[in-house]
Amino acid sequence: MSIGRSTRLWIACVIGTSAVAAIATINGQSAPSRPATAPATPSPGIGAPSAIRRAPAAAAASAARQRALLDQYCVTCHNDRLKTANLSLAQLDPAAAGDHPEVWEKVVRKLRAGVMPPPDIKRPPLAEYEGLRDYLEAAIDRKAAAHVNPGSVVLHRLNRTEYANVIRDLLDLEIDVTTLLPSDDSARGFDNIAGSLTISPTLLEAYTTAAARVARTAVGYWRSPTESTYLAPGDTSQNQHLEGLPFGTRGGMLVRHNFPADGEYKFSIQNFGIGSFIPGEQLELAIDGERAHLFKYQGVGTSQGMSGEGDGSLDVTIPVKAGSRMVGATFVATNYRPSLDTVKQYDRKSLENNSIPQLQYYPAIGFLRIQGPFTPQRPTDSRSIRKVFTCRPSSGPGTKTVQAKAVQEETCAESILATLARRAYRRPATARDREALMTFYEEGRRAGTFEDGIELALRRLLASPQFLVRTEREPANLPMGRAYRISDLELASRLSFFLWSSIPDDALITVASQGRLSNPLVLQQQVRRMLADPRSDALVSNFGAQLLYLRNLKATSPDGVFYPDWDDELRQGFRRETELFFDSIIREDRDVVDLLTADYTFLNERLARHYGVPNIYGAHFRRVTLGPDLDYRRGLLGKGSFLAVTWTQNFRTSPVKRGVWVLENILGTPPPEPPPNVPALEDAAGGSVKSLTLREQMTVHRKNQPCAGCHKLMDPIGFALDNFDADGRWRTRQGGDGGTPIDASVALFDGQPVTGPSGLRQALLRYSPQFVRMVTEKMMTYALGRGVEDSDMPVLRSIVRDAAREHNRFSSIVMGIVKSAPFQMRVKANES
Amino acid sequence: MFITRKHIPRRTFLRGAGVTLALPLLESMVPAFTPQRLSAASPVRRFVGIWHPHGAAPGYWSPLKEGKDFDFSFITKPLEPFRDRTVLITGLDMPEAMATDDEPGGDHARGAVLLSGARPRRNAVSPALGVTIDQTIAKKYGQDTILSSIQLGVEDTGNFGNCNWGYSCAYTNSISWSSPTQPLPTEVNPRVAFERLFGDGTSAEERLAGRQQNASILDAVTRELHILKNDLGAGDRARLDTYLENIRELERRIKIAMGNSVKEPNVDIPFGLPESKHVHFRLMYDLMALAFQGDITRSATFMLGRDLSGTSFPESGFNGGWHGSSHHGDKPENVANYAKMNRYHVQNLAYFCDLLQKTADGDGTLLDHVLIYKGSNMGNSHRHAHEKVPVILVGGIDGTFKGNRHIVFPDNTQRTSNLLLAILHRFGIEQDKIGTSTGPLPAIEPLPIT
Repeated sequence: MSIGRSTRLWIACVIGTSAVAAIATINGQSAPSRPATAPATPSPGIGAPSAIRRAPAAAAASAARQRALLDQYCVTCHNDRLKTANLSLAQLDPAAAGDHPEVWEKVVRKLRAGVMPPPDIKRPPLAEYEGLRDYLEAAIDRKAAAHVNPGSVVLHRLNRTEYANVIRDLLDLEIDVTTLLPSDDSARGFDNIAGSLTISPTLLEAYTTAAARVARTAVGYWRSPTESTYLAPGDTSQNQHLEGLPFGTRGGMLVRHNFPADGEYKFSIQNFGIGSFIPGEQLELAIDGERAHLFKYQGVGTSQGMSGEGDGSLDVTIPVKAGSRMVGATFVATNYRPSLDTVKQYDRKSLENNSIPQLQYYPAIGFLRIQGPFTPQRPTDSRSIRKVFTCRPSSGPGTKTVQAKAVQEETCAESILATLARRAYRRPATARDREALMTFYEEGRRAGTFEDGIELALRRLLASPQFLVRTEREPANLPMGRAYRISDLELASRLSFFLWSSIPDDALITVASQGRLSNPLVLQQQVRRMLADPRSDALVSNFGAQLLYLRNLKATSPDGVFYPDWDDELRQGFRRETELFFDSIIREDRDVVDLLTADYTFLNERLARHYGVPNIYGAHFRRVTLGPDLDYRRGLLGKGSFLAVTWTQNFRTSPVKRGVWVLENILGTPPPEPPPNVPALEDAAGGSVKSLTLREQMTVHRKNQPCAGCHKLMDPIGFALDNFDADGRWRTRQGGDGGTPIDASVALFDGQPVTGPSGLRQALLRYSPQFVRMVTEKMMTYALGRGVEDSDMPVLRSIVRDAAREHNRFSSIVMGIVKSAPFQMRVKANES
Repeated sequence: MFITRKHIPRRTFLRGAGVTLALPLLESMVPAFTPQRLSAASPVRRFVGIWHPHGAAPGYWSPLKEGKDFDFSFITKPLEPFRDRTVLITGLDMPEAMATDDEPGGDHARGAVLLSGARPRRNAVSPALGVTIDQTIAKKYGQDTILSSIQLGVEDTGNFGNCNWGYSCAYTNSISWSSPTQPLPTEVNPRVAFERLFGDGTSAEERLAGRQQNASILDAVTRELHILKNDLGAGDRARLDTYLENIRELERRIKIAMGNSVKEPNVDIPFGLPESKHVHFRLMYDLMALAFQGDITRSATFMLGRDLSGTSFPESGFNGGWHGSSHHGDKPENVANYAKMNRYHVQNLAYFCDLLQKTADGDGTLLDHVLIYKGSNMGNSHRHAHEKVPVILVGGIDGTFKGNRHIVFPDNTQRTSNLLLAILHRFGIEQDKIGTSTGPLPAIEPLPIT
């Protein structure tokens, strides 16, 4: 949809609780595709981008009263002379807060999180404290309502995760994207920020190579063998049954692999078994859950794939049909129960004690390698082939003559390519698109078969900038700085990349190309449909995983000497627990504050054992209610994933990192980076720290002036959580049974006395509105693919206020973002 | 040459010598915006780092005589034909690989010290080491080659075999690190290594066809970008201009590649790991020689095995497993057997030197314009001693590095990280320190220009 010259931004600002500002096309000339049902007058309905809503007027507080509060409680430090934190509030008029959002938004944020004034400094009574905050917000919002700035996103290239999802949806093909594309830079906590997704020759080269490989894998075939090696993580245990592998098996690996042609494939499984003389051991190779081969062997022996010093590999070559398949390699569980004293494979191995009979361990799989195809044949069927070849030239009558056949092929090719182009370019295919792709089809067809033609055209399509980059048109004849609505098709792309991290599906493109998507009711319907679709898992695996630092788990590994129970199975368990927890908030459309408080979690046997929860058996995760005895596990603060990613040293917890995490991810006020040349713990303490507890050491550290300001905020939070060890296990003493008792009683930054994780959780609930804002801000960052700026805060506040009326349900925040001006509009940027 | 003897006549290579052979679209290509060909006056310098586990048999490695015209020892004897380009060093320690009170054990887990001179962080999942010299050299000399560097090996880098004492396997899997936290994967499959060097495809013709298709795709993409620009805002138009520039750079690389495609070796390298380690070693040396010859890369690493390897080498005249044989118990007959295995690896090195010496490069040969550093993180590995490690240097670097030397340092005075520092200086890279170095190694360090 294009926007005409006369399109105007129309702002209604009505003072009162239902105040609303919406855009609509005024002056008659709405764009041709705009449906007649588009709101002609501002209404609070969904779909009309809600720019700003004013908050309820705070207690009728005068500017003079606010000024007095500032003078009494803030200006002692934030004055023109001291300029603490480079901020002076001495001269600014709170009534005109909207003139300086860059200053006052900072103030509001600190007040929202309750972290100012600092600990030990006197605070006003709570009502006045909140009154000042509301007053400032209202002043900023009032000013912003007069001038909407939805911001602009620069062109957005697919990042690695999106590329993989798009290929899945376009070609029904699962690819290991890490082997094709370099990783993307993150900014503002996410790796889908348009401005950070730069373009380089190396990257374009990777895209071009990927285009060839993906096209070949999907519709062509590999004539020469390829090799893929899947490695087990360094600290895997493989003592237990793994989810997804057959029952009655133990350990092993499960990977998704693309077999690029029908043919023979060689499977090599590196089998670590030093120290094991387990009788009757059997290793099973399974493809798509079916046993493909069974290796039988007896303890150590070169003929069985192992040697006295090295671990050999067990090899087998078998025919496999092309396509994406789950390949598992696992041990058939025997009744034999060797010692489990040492769980980790590499610990077992480093003991090198195969001569001690009572120390016998389960073997483990080190890697699974798949080579092939050998003697390849063009595949006749696969999920991708079914998805792509929507017609076949040979199917109809009238193919007798060569000419007729050629015509039929061409018709079919055009239909296939138009369908692909529509999905890949996220809009109906144009004549020019068809022509461009057909040129390559013909080139490929000339050199080979019909399928070769499609393959080359697909390769061309996947190398197209229109596929790789999301662009949004800018009306040429609009004045600079003017806001305008994006087209329905562009909106469809924004929507699908937000909710699915992928391209729109046919239904969404259809609705958008009919110009109906901007209709509020249709938009709401589509959002509900998309949230219910399995593709919205991306909100967990992509948004949630970045929001909750789950990607950092991969590099989390407490020292095995201090944390012998840590292994990859535990790491995966932590990840899965938090994923399922976040998923439940989305699926059950819960209050996002439940993320802090919910009285349930998801456990399997491995994780339950670690948490000390009895009667949970098996590898699959199930919902478990956390009773009063497990109160400390409720919400994110009790989750192993959070507790584990906040270690700093390998051998102890990091109260500081935990404090930082809470400040940033619950209160939305990340502390600044530590100043340079901060003395290490030991130096600050002046010599040996061995005799001091961690808490005593930190007290010394806190006396150090440059550090004290922030550590007073961070440390108490962290110490309240110190009952959780670095591996997330509950403890009452530091340093084992004979160690020092944990003292988890602290005074929080706002003066609240708190004991232990449960107490901290309760105390933080006072700031749950700020938590909702934080979640909304992060979700908006992710949805827009750009940083949320001060100019967006009025809109953000209005989204949060609306969501509060719907109990902060997950979908209410999603909906609020989708219907907001920043999501539906752009500003025509100045030449830069 | 192993590959050529089997598959193509030698002159096929010579025709391609000294020019860029191929320019496939490889994922790991470096951004090469500003090619800076080195002039004939300043020849291309190349580096090969070769690592092997388990040190060398005591008494069989060090030549008896110090200085020039020494008599080669039993182990180093195969290098005699290249005496003028060979430097042997006795008496260097590798303290970064040693166990300490705080970090006991792990003697077999710190192989990557070789080219980093840094002590590995003891951590199983988040390894940290230092940038290795092959990478520093690649950064300086690999900017206008297809691959800035290549990492080869012959033994599978099982991710978690043998990485004990809490050390990440990264330190045993790779001796080449592009950043302190980024080990580069070691390629053991000769065919995969070949395709990395020369491109995808079963034959030179197929590779050429693939490049032609890429060229026409990029050509079409260029036209598409021009049309796409019309509807966009100023900022996005500028971004598409960057896109266009990058496409042009790709086109430039492809044109060079297509121009040279005819000169590519059309060899049939078997897929998968050769049954014979002997064949495997020589295939990998062949590939390195080919890569240098075509100026496809200027920096390579090669791991002759893995720590704790049990591989045996029948061609050495002794058939014991590597790690087991290295624990010779200081018994004379065991030590003598172990020396045969050590010598075998020097024989293979001599094979490589021979390939390089036979290939003309500028005013000399490839051997004149390379530095090969072969070393290990142990000396007498029966005792897990990280002192007096065997150091072999072969090659003239820029033609001026003098061979025919056996340099001896008194015990406990010098460390290998100082050697690394001096090597960097020899490559014209001004760096004050690498890992735990204390100062550039005398006798290797270039003389100051007066």
